[in-house]
Amino acid sequence: MSLTLGQVLALFGAALAVCLPGIGSSRGVGMVGESASGLITEDPGKFGQALILQALPGTQGIYGFLAGFLTIQKIGLLAGNLVDLTPAQGWLIFVACMPITIVGFISALYQGRVAAASIGIVSKRPEEVAKGITFAAMVETYAVLALLATILMLFGINI
Amino acid sequence: MAIVNMKKMHLLGLKREKATILRALQKTGVVEVINIVEEAAVEDIEQAGEVQKNYVNQELNRELQELETKLAELNFGIDFLKPYVKSTNPLIHGKPSIKKDELSEILSKESSILDNLQAVFDLDKQLSQLKTEETRLIGQIEMLSPWRALDIPLEELGKTRKTVFEAAVMPRKSRAELDRIITEEGLLAEIATLGESQDDVYTLVVYHKEHKENMEKLFKEFSVNLQDFSNFEGTPKELIKAAEKRIEDIEVERGTIKEKSKELSDNLRYFQILYDYYTVEKDRKSAFLKVTDTDKAFSMQAWLPEEHEELVKSTVSKVTDTVYMEFSAPTDEDDMPVLLSNAKLVEPFEVITELYSLPDPRGLDPNLYMAPFFFMFFGMMLSDAGYGIIMSLLAGYALFRFKLAGSGKKFTAMLFLCGISTVIWGAIFGGWFGDLIRVKPMWINPLDNPLSVLILSFVMGVVQIYVGIILNAYKNIRAGKVADALMDQGLWLVLLTGLLMFVMPELVQLGKYMAIVGAVGLILTQGRSQTSIIKKFTSGVLSLYDITGYLSDVLSYSRLLALGLTTGVIATVINTMAKTVSGSIIGYIVMALIIIGGHVFNLAINVLGAFVHSSRLQYIEFFGKFYDSGGRAFDPLKVKTSYVDLEDF
Repeated sequence: MSLTLGQVLALFGAALAVCLPGIGSSRGVGMVGESASGLITEDPGKFGQALILQALPGTQGIYGFLAGFLTIQKIGLLAGNLVDLTPAQGWLIFVACMPITIVGFISALYQGRVAAASIGIVSKRPEEVAKGITFAAMVETYAVLALLATILMLFGINI
Repeated sequence: MAIVNMKKMHLLGLKREKATILRALQKTGVVEVINIVEEAAVEDIEQAGEVQKNYVNQELNRELQELETKLAELNFGIDFLKPYVKSTNPLIHGKPSIKKDELSEILSKESSILDNLQAVFDLDKQLSQLKTEETRLIGQIEMLSPWRALDIPLEELGKTRKTVFEAAVMPRKSRAELDRIITEEGLLAEIATLGESQDDVYTLVVYHKEHKENMEKLFKEFSVNLQDFSNFEGTPKELIKAAEKRIEDIEVERGTIKEKSKELSDNLRYFQILYDYYTVEKDRKSAFLKVTDTDKAFSMQAWLPEEHEELVKSTVSKVTDTVYMEFSAPTDEDDMPVLLSNAKLVEPFEVITELYSLPDPRGLDPNLYMAPFFFMFFGMMLSDAGYGIIMSLLAGYALFRFKLAGSGKKFTAMLFLCGISTVIWGAIFGGWFGDLIRVKPMWINPLDNPLSVLILSFVMGVVQIYVGIILNAYKNIRAGKVADALMDQGLWLVLLTGLLMFVMPELVQLGKYMAIVGAVGLILTQGRSQTSIIKKFTSGVLSLYDITGYLSDVLSYSRLLALGLTTGVIATVINTMAKTVSGSIIGYIVMALIIIGGHVFNLAINVLGAFVHSSRLQYIEFFGKFYDSGGRAFDPLKVKTSYVDLEDF
């Protein structure tokens, strides 16, 4: 089986879509985890609330994985018969992967920062945690939009 | 069905009946005492009664402090004894209820119960002493164990008539060097190795007094540390043995203390009852602080829901005749608390609003309008019938089995309802644990035709935004500002509707005119608060810029599609991964594990996502249009207990 440039490009796009948001999310989740550990030493009872905040920047990694999965499904890698892609088609798929790759990576970092700061809300005024969650969710909007753009582009490409 | 109307109660009573009246009010649990002391104090500051009143308050404060201390102590006793009692979970079985006789019996033997509490304190003190001793002994063993080989009693180290014995720790490499120098310089000294650790050698150094200076110099040079054993008697071996023996004894003593604690554990129940009893008393005493006194009488003000006026009247008149009560509607200056009352199906969604902020007491309760949208959005975002069934079953079980109350109950009920919505949307989109169970979608699979679902998302967004604008208009009309409602909200509705008509080809012409009418109307009216003509015009034109706000609001609803897709696709991925390992027996077991673990993970992460994003759509896109928040929750004086239900007190 000979590989075409198009296939390589498409796979490259899929790999980036999984990797970068994944890196961003792990850093975001890690940041919140660090702040949360400090809180838990003082008050282990707030584990639940802290965990919710920690989970928030984790979604970008999932979105990236989702985009990567849809891509490899689209090019037939999962079914075992890779479609012959022209370079142009490969580029199209690569570009389609970019929104969630870039926005997912960066928004996970920022969302991690907001969520880590919200740990302060949990420590001082746990009853107001919903507001911290909402602040973090504001950041995620753009990852959701980027994912949507990626998915719509992927579905729109004819191969 | 909305924000409950409050009434203000003014009550004048005899001072000696203050406790009785407040106790009766506390039992009803529908009255929030208003703090009128501060205001009065400022006015009366010059008056002679002030000293007296301050004295009373000081007395009260002292009593409250005593109660706090008592409560803290009881709380400690409860925490201490809890591990020794197999108690039933109050979440499942509810709180045991305590009859009046039982309570008075317990109160009559309070002093003996408090003696037992003192016993608990003593036990705890003993435990912590044992702990300190144990730590010290462990440290001692650690310190002594390298010296185990030293068979001279430690007190005998030091100087004899002609020689010096020193226990010394030195770096491993110094040892050989020292030996060499001692032989080279002919010093009368000997080093015997007793033990070794990774880097250091533990030694006994014996030298003649004459060479003391030389040796001390060498010690410095080769960084030899002399160990000080001045507080020890006996050989290290004996000492370690003694310490180990003592640690064993400590363990035994701990066992005895545990036995004693177990014997005391019957008191847990009494501690809990007393704790609750005094909590209630503390709450009532705190209310005393908000009441003003004269010599013989007291006056208080309180908020209560309108519907409970009769109940309060009859309760108070049952305990005393010499009382004057007056109920009045709140005035414009009043800052009344907010209590919401909604239909059974809407009530669970109040928790969403409570998490944001309660409505202004004169504003609009958004729950009735918000609930259907939240219900639909949550389901659309989770959009998997299988997950919906699981969620509803779990939440339903929790509601049925656990005695939940307050926002915990509302939240669980909300999840139950949203589970139903999820089942409906899952059926519409054909998602049953992803593609695990293949059922034909009732409408379409969003993966096949994402655009249709995206349009549906936008339509739902437009509907919610319209409802928001209309509610704002309603608010204006209710406040008597019909013109404002027409100009601010009416014209926007005309403009937005006109723009929306552009989507449908047959309505484009009509839409164009509507949009123009709306836009011109807005340009003419939106600057009406400005003074000069030019400013009126520019503000009017600039107001059209808000159109971008509406656009981004609508686009924000695309998350309904995106999050729905996420659930479905990840579920499919899990199923695909599971299928790849099937084939053999072990394969099927692994497959089952992947399917169960994967779907549990997907369910958890997506329930969180659906909840967070549905809430966000309410908070930002919907509440932003009309909602006045900032209310203070109604917090009545009531019998609030932690462990038992005090039936009567």
